[in-house]
Amino acid sequence: MSVDVYWRIAMEGDAPALRLGDITRGGFGPYLPGALGPGLRGGAPDGYGPLDYMGEVARATERSGFVGGLMPSFPETDDPWAAAAALAGETTAYRFMIAFQPGFLHPVQAARMSASLQAATGGRVVYNIISGGGGPQQLWWGDKVAHDDRYARTSEFLDVLKGVWDGPFDHDGRFYRVEGAALPPELRGQPFPEVFFSGSSPAAIAAAGRHADYYLSWLEPFDALAAKFALVRQHSDTPPKFAVRVDVLARETEEEAWEELRRGWARLGGEQRTPDASESVGWRRGREFTAGAGDDLRDLEVQPNVWGGFNRLRPGPLFGLVGDYHQVAERLDELIGLGVDAFILAGVPHLEEAQRVGRHVLPLLKGKIA
Amino acid sequence: MTRLHVVAPTRAPGRAVLPDFVTDVRPRAVEPGHRAVGRAAELGGLDGVLVPFDPGGHDPLVLAAAVLRDTRHVQVAAEFHPAIATPVYAAKLSASLQRYTGGRFAWRLAVDLPPDVARAHGDFLEGPARYARADEFLTIAKGVWSERPYTFEGEHFQVLEGGFPGSRVPRPFPRVYLSGTSAEALALSARHADAHLIGPDDDPGLVPDGVDAALRLRADTDDEAALADEILRRAEAGIAEFFVEPAATPASQSTGTAYWLAQRVLPLLRKETEGVG
Repeated sequence: MSVDVYWRIAMEGDAPALRLGDITRGGFGPYLPGALGPGLRGGAPDGYGPLDYMGEVARATERSGFVGGLMPSFPETDDPWAAAAALAGETTAYRFMIAFQPGFLHPVQAARMSASLQAATGGRVVYNIISGGGGPQQLWWGDKVAHDDRYARTSEFLDVLKGVWDGPFDHDGRFYRVEGAALPPELRGQPFPEVFFSGSSPAAIAAAGRHADYYLSWLEPFDALAAKFALVRQHSDTPPKFAVRVDVLARETEEEAWEELRRGWARLGGEQRTPDASESVGWRRGREFTAGAGDDLRDLEVQPNVWGGFNRLRPGPLFGLVGDYHQVAERLDELIGLGVDAFILAGVPHLEEAQRVGRHVLPLLKGKIA
Repeated sequence: MTRLHVVAPTRAPGRAVLPDFVTDVRPRAVEPGHRAVGRAAELGGLDGVLVPFDPGGHDPLVLAAAVLRDTRHVQVAAEFHPAIATPVYAAKLSASLQRYTGGRFAWRLAVDLPPDVARAHGDFLEGPARYARADEFLTIAKGVWSERPYTFEGEHFQVLEGGFPGSRVPRPFPRVYLSGTSAEALALSARHADAHLIGPDDDPGLVPDGVDAALRLRADTDDEAALADEILRRAEAGIAEFFVEPAATPASQSTGTAYWLAQRVLPLLRKETEGVG
């Protein structure tokens, strides 16, 4: 059985290296020396926008051996639907894994946009369904539905979306009501996007059992990850496949890889080493695995090559793999051995690291050893 | 200054049937000709493209994003209704399109829909309440766009401590097009619209002060003089923007209409007015 390897695409702008925090490619912040896409020529915008750099990343991604990219969605990112729709015509094989929260879009609209994008891309849309970390961030989006209810809404959302896809469809539920909903004839029959379902709480795992093609988790220490997969299997009549989102810092030698981190670590003040909190269960789990770690960066290496400090160097999950090309490939193989069917890998800068990982790490993978 | 837009197709064109012995490598047409129309509008110096909401067609936001990506100068307006998304999400998606395109994206907000179409899209609100909801939608969208933190507790939508991060790339709020002749529609336009679309038989005097009057009309591509005359006459009466669609509806005609507008109609307007196109 084959493994789908995705490569994240930065929706918030990109830094020139993990050790350098400043976002100088795309992004929202002020112009910095050396900024690219958009840049300035003689003080005036140079005509290249944030999407031009993303196009470079998407094209490099599909050339380097990845099937597509996760397009994340947070308050401080650009929007994945906008980016996917704009980049549809510039790639040929790249699958657009669009992250979105069901509460923000009506399922009929989601169906129409998805089917239109399937038509534009030849069926390259993939969903990353997130139901929300909760707390102030949900209210920022204008969403007041409580945590466990959001998973109930996600379930109903996907029921309606699938109903409309195969319409005509009537529905009168707790969150949604439609009458005679259907896709237009020329949008019917498009493949329904694969669903990557995120969420670490019991409510999420229960909902995943019904709707997920892939249950997607952030990387965690391997034992914890295996336990999580077991729990999902337990809650599913038909177990989903499993996917892991993994940051990768791979170099020719192990020393080089850790030196890169050390240089990034050195730029952080004590305050920046204490990452901000979120109410997401996945986030809290990650924090527990690294609780009690000292101030040395190697204290965050919870098992060989598995490092829990990525969140201090860039926004996002804690854990990733650090090591030489062979070590990183071996750890990925171990994850495949634990039952992982798909990866979403990431590295900064997303452009050059996609090329590096595609050239030096992916060829070393051995897959499931019988 | 008179602005001239072309209406883009939303359905895949029908195709000519080739004889069996002619090798046919045409890709299956699964998309409308919107991208060709966008490029024609760009090449011909038109001001914009409108992608209408068509219940039987492709999604206008997806089509508009593709047209925006293909062009560098034209405005691209997408028509949608306020029940498709929360205003925060609609604004977020739009803010990205603005960042990607130098601020060329515009909103054609369809407040009133035929009731059966609305219900098929999950929207059961009827009557003047639709305008109250649209008011909330636009208020919140503009609020999160330009204020931080921004809080609004409405009847239909809410946001708490919201507001978008600043952007170094220009990111103006989309130009807003509204329509309707009822008191509620005109009051909504007075509060929120940059331009108000009227029909060929409506009085431009209806359009609230400070809002541009815009007209959508069908053109017969056989007679450029007639269209130029009509545009000039209506511009005289106060219409600032024109959205032109082919008189016959086949989707495949739109590209031809865009080239025709650029090459045959624009020169006639330029003779009479400054700076058109």
